[in-house]
Amino acid sequence: MIPYLIVLFAITLVYFASAERLIIYIRLIGLQGLLLCGIALFELREINTANLIFIVAETLLFKTILIPYLLKWIVSRSGVTKVHRQAMPGFYLLIFSIASLLVSVILSNSLVNQFVNTIYMTIALFTLFTGLLLIVTHRLIISHLIGFLIIENAVFLFSLAIGNRMPMMINIGILLDIFVGVLVLGFFGLRLRPHTNELTRLKD
Amino acid sequence: MTGIILIMLVSFLFPGVILRTKSIASGRKGPGLLQPVYDIGVLLRKGSVFSNTTGLIFQIAPAVALASIFCSALLIPFADQNSVISFDGDFVFFAYLLALGRFFMIIGALDTGSSFEGMGANREALFSMLLEPAFFILMGTFAMLTGYTSFAEIFRHFYISGNQYMLIYGILGFYLLLQIALIENSRLPVDDPKTHLELTMIHEVMILDHSGFDKALIHIGTYIKFAIYGSLIFNGIVPAKWNIFLQIGLFLSIQAMFAIIIGLTESFRARNKMNKNPKFILTLSFIALLAFVVVLILTDKLI
Repeated sequence: MIPYLIVLFAITLVYFASAERLIIYIRLIGLQGLLLCGIALFELREINTANLIFIVAETLLFKTILIPYLLKWIVSRSGVTKVHRQAMPGFYLLIFSIASLLVSVILSNSLVNQFVNTIYMTIALFTLFTGLLLIVTHRLIISHLIGFLIIENAVFLFSLAIGNRMPMMINIGILLDIFVGVLVLGFFGLRLRPHTNELTRLKD
Repeated sequence: MTGIILIMLVSFLFPGVILRTKSIASGRKGPGLLQPVYDIGVLLRKGSVFSNTTGLIFQIAPAVALASIFCSALLIPFADQNSVISFDGDFVFFAYLLALGRFFMIIGALDTGSSFEGMGANREALFSMLLEPAFFILMGTFAMLTGYTSFAEIFRHFYISGNQYMLIYGILGFYLLLQIALIENSRLPVDDPKTHLELTMIHEVMILDHSGFDKALIHIGTYIKFAIYGSLIFNGIVPAKWNIFLQIGLFLSIQAMFAIIIGLTESFRARNKMNKNPKFILTLSFIALLAFVVVLILTDKLI
């Protein structure tokens, strides 16, 4: 079951590279949260009940419901529905994403050892690069926020790659990071107009 | 040999099913299933008219295209039987046979000297170039999974390799082959065979100057190509060891389903904006690459 979920997770990353509407990004972030919950439930074996409940709450409650809801609210308040038209064309972003997948494979292959699960490592690196690419190539702050959330998902996958344990403190740290990130960047997202460098009212 | 007979049989019915599906979806009764065949009969009885600006390339292009498509059909296996022509690496030969036909159609379009046809040829060449990696990566994935490099051996060993992830590759293969078939045959969402504006045409604008007999050859080639891709999808879905009569029934059903899916897609889906097409096609290569990477990891080929 886990490989199916991981492949689905990777396909959401492909979709990130080709989508242009923010609502699709938000849905994908929610779906990624759900998939991470499934992967964590199937993967983590040596874990106490409190920690398990925490992970389920983190992935299901925060990543699947709360954060997409917050993002949707930000998008509807700011009135921006699509990525900035001056962002890098999706075609080039796709090419970079393909390159990043190949780099992830090579990197994870060079880092292989008995403590690291290669498939998690590959997808985690690919997720990290996709998040970075979204931040670098897009111009809207809401896209940067989504890139940041993708990187947080990559961190979650990294923690799965190195074993079946997931310390509570690290989880709390990640959760706080996401929460503050969404609040702070969401605030900026609401304040900053997306089309600041375009002339809308021309006069002689 | 059964495979090639079935492909030829299905290729005559395929366009009729698409047409009928589209008619029913739009609330009309629609023409009979054999109407496209009658239309081709009419075209075959007509002569061809050639412009003064065209040369030999333009005149031979439709025949070369049809011959290459027909030869590529000989490489497709059916059930447990070998294809008419089968050798190691035949899927590369298959892809480049189709590319040869397309190449002749493209230079035939350029031979007319028409700016519209040049534009269509440009688009067709770009889309084919972007689509090629998707097909090769997909077939490479299948070859790596099964350990064989010919169509017949790949499909024969596809479901008996004992790999528990075959379902993933079956689904991905079905999706990718379906999309490749739609793009190769210039159908929605990349191209629309019913469009009437030259500026938005891709394949249709390339064949504007062909008429009568030559146009019939082009249409026949398209129909056979549909059946070829439908056959590849069938081979990817149905295990080769099943009973032959069941396989024939399933082959006809899958081809009919394939035609109905195309008809429904064309009825309910809008065509992509022209500038979105390269991204759409490249996404297919990306998905194929993803499948390839997963196979590399799962089969321990990488580590």
